[in-house]
Amino acid sequence: MRSTGHRVRDTAASTAPAEVVEPDTTEEVDLDAPWVVIVWNDPVNLMSYVAFVFRKLFGYSEHEANRLMLQVHNEGRAVVSSGARDEAERDVFRLHEHGLWATMQQD
Amino acid sequence: MFRSPIRRRSDGTYRFQIPEAYRELVRHVVEADLRPGLTTDDPDLHRLFPPAYGEDDDRNAGYAALAGRELVDRRLAATDTVLETLHSERLTREQLEAWMRTINDARLVLATRIGIEDEEPAELDDETSESAELNWYQHLSALLELIVRALSD
Repeated sequence: MRSTGHRVRDTAASTAPAEVVEPDTTEEVDLDAPWVVIVWNDPVNLMSYVAFVFRKLFGYSEHEANRLMLQVHNEGRAVVSSGARDEAERDVFRLHEHGLWATMQQD
Repeated sequence: MFRSPIRRRSDGTYRFQIPEAYRELVRHVVEADLRPGLTTDDPDLHRLFPPAYGEDDDRNAGYAALAGRELVDRRLAATDTVLETLHSERLTREQLEAWMRTINDARLVLATRIGIEDEEPAELDDETSESAELNWYQHLSALLELIVRALSD
């Protein structure tokens, strides 16, 4: 995210892992495991804007929205919601509607 | 004390008294970049449509087929609202949020064109052909900050 104070390079969203771990096909996939929605850091979206979108879409308090925004900013990503697959997909859609880089994966 | 040109009124609507030059800038990026790009699958707009499932190409294709059109339609609807209220000095919250999303979309597209890849405020370089777009990007960023501040109050 863009801020004026200090420089934090965004590598999390663009760097692919060096080794791809093959999925263990012998293990049962837990179909009921919840999906998590992840927002990734990017160099364009304003910090104030990201916090506002979190409050608007998920009803977070100002404090919690700022905490998640800073987690995205400092750690490169944050889980912003979780639930069944269709719920997660709806959340991803609404984040995309607001221009945030969001993905979902099964926890 | 600094009084923002964009602020909430007691009736729940918003004062929206930004300079005419800003309105013309928004109109320009909407008509020249955003709307044509949204209807032609312009690669500079791909940033507006991230893959929902990361590396899972099959599921990404499914999501794009389901959500892609709706994301385009909602973005076009927001630009409709912006153009309809281009010279308004009073906006509803819904209209102000349409301005917010449209301006952010425009920033994302301009950032792709300029090649903004880190968070350091970009230097203005008159020698480059992108200097006008960089200038627009910075003005739109300032305008967006004012809108977000008003909506957060």
